[in-house]
Amino acid sequence: MHTFNTELNQWEMRSCPTLEVLTEEARDLRSEIASSLFLAGGGHYGGALSVVDIILSLYRGVLRFDPKIPDHPKRDRFILSKGHAAIALYSVLRKLGFFLTPLELYGHFGSPLQGHPDMNTTKGIDFSTGSLGQGLSVGLGMAMGCPDAHSWVVLGDGECQEGQVWEAAMLASRYSVSNLHAVVDFNGFQEWGWHDDSRVHAESIEMMSAKWSAFGWSVFHVDGNDYASLIPTFRQMASCNFGPSVAIARTVKGKGFHMTEAHPRRFHCATLDKHQHEQLFEGLL
Amino acid sequence: MTERLADHCGRLLAGLADRDKRIVALDGDLADSDGACHFALRHPSRFFMAGIAEQNMVSMAAGMATCGLRPFAFSFAAFLCYRAFDQIRISVSHTRQPVALIGSHSGGCTSRNGKTHAALNDIGMMTSLPHMQVWSPADAKDVSLALTNSLSGDSPVYIRTPRRPLDDLDGSAAAYRIFGSPQGIAIVATGLSTHLCLAASAILNNRGRSAFVLHVAQLAPLPALDLFEILSNSNSVFVVEDHSEYGGLAGAIRHLNSSLDVRSIGWPMMWAGESGDDESLLQAYALDATGIAETITAASLSRNAAGR
Repeated sequence: MHTFNTELNQWEMRSCPTLEVLTEEARDLRSEIASSLFLAGGGHYGGALSVVDIILSLYRGVLRFDPKIPDHPKRDRFILSKGHAAIALYSVLRKLGFFLTPLELYGHFGSPLQGHPDMNTTKGIDFSTGSLGQGLSVGLGMAMGCPDAHSWVVLGDGECQEGQVWEAAMLASRYSVSNLHAVVDFNGFQEWGWHDDSRVHAESIEMMSAKWSAFGWSVFHVDGNDYASLIPTFRQMASCNFGPSVAIARTVKGKGFHMTEAHPRRFHCATLDKHQHEQLFEGLL
Repeated sequence: MTERLADHCGRLLAGLADRDKRIVALDGDLADSDGACHFALRHPSRFFMAGIAEQNMVSMAAGMATCGLRPFAFSFAAFLCYRAFDQIRISVSHTRQPVALIGSHSGGCTSRNGKTHAALNDIGMMTSLPHMQVWSPADAKDVSLALTNSLSGDSPVYIRTPRRPLDDLDGSAAAYRIFGSPQGIAIVATGLSTHLCLAASAILNNRGRSAFVLHVAQLAPLPALDLFEILSNSNSVFVVEDHSEYGGLAGAIRHLNSSLDVRSIGWPMMWAGESGDDESLLQAYALDATGIAETITAASLSRNAAGR
């Protein structure tokens, strides 16, 4: 966490919570996410639960921002390119004080918490997403437009099947944009995927690391659900000054509940009845 | 001065950027065809060759706009609108970012390039997006107005320019211009077609038919009240455009008021575009001055015969 010192014209770091505190905080956020999705009538459990540790790590340990001045021109930017995990981002932003809207209003008519992030309705959302593949390009534009700030873009592994991701990857390395950082939430599952197709490799993107590397990016590997691994890696990426950097973050789809972890494809996007919802919480890990 | 409007746009933007430090330009590797070269040569550090990757270019421009820059993204109209439509929809229109999209080589006159390079329904696509300002200039003065208007506002903007060089028209640029006395047959036109319609109206007037041309440069938001007032005195309205007969200016004019008797003259629905010189293409589909005059004459005669 940071605050902007206007006298010194620079960001000042506040202490980062301990790993134990972050882990406990994430557990609470996962409960809020699951409760909100139940009240919303369903949603993307799997991807929201896999990515929340990545988002919390960035906001608690790396990004420079001030929730009281959400549009501060010198803030670091964050784009959740896999916009279907919006509820995870909302849960973190609310926790940090960007807004007070209850998460239960997620996806409801008239709510600022739209089904996919909307920069024009929700404070703290740096860019609207939802149609996969566009966020890295937007982050590239922000990184070039605000050279004093860092732009962080979180993508899904399935999302990397979109050609635009690689258009952006190519151009970012051509212009050596060092303040652009991508994080791939590599949970290994997408809505349908190739798991039932014996003819082909089942992984969403084969040779993910080699692909980014071939496109000229510095590649980091990280356990995407482990704060001890995430925060130091992200800080290392922020200090990279020879072109764009990407973290391939291996995560567990549906992380945090026994039921969602055991059925990653069912919980890509799911609707639960009251009984199933109660069963889900009996398995809160 | 006869000049390709894309060149005028690039040259003018380069000049404006001397004073307005917010302006940057991006291009999809067509800089010497779409006018961006003038900016690239004058402001190399503010010019970004985005490569042959229009989707990335458009979203990237939107990201730049959130940082207070005023990005102008250049390509052919076909590649901007068709290749990157979802990026325009999500990253530019929905977010209301002040990105200017400059689409050259719009319409059906694509010379040797043919159908892949034709943008025949770009007006329909772009005017149907929320918050999008759409301009179809007919001369350099219109381009200047569209650019200065874009920079003084904060809307996303699409400017379509035809491939062929165009002379300046009489009068000052505005959202619309009237040529002739606004009575009798109304010929509503935009872009390249305005020039052809001025020649067509001269033919009609020589034949003793009273016709005037209403050139509409700003297609969205349409100056609807003014246009309806001008057209409400005409018993027949012909809308001529270098665009599909569906979804373009004709549709917008019909939408002004159902009492208007509107006939659409554009590229036929089943035509995708083809190679050929402008005159051959326009003549083949009766979109040249003579063809337009004949179509209007024939339609007027049949209306009279029907007692209308």
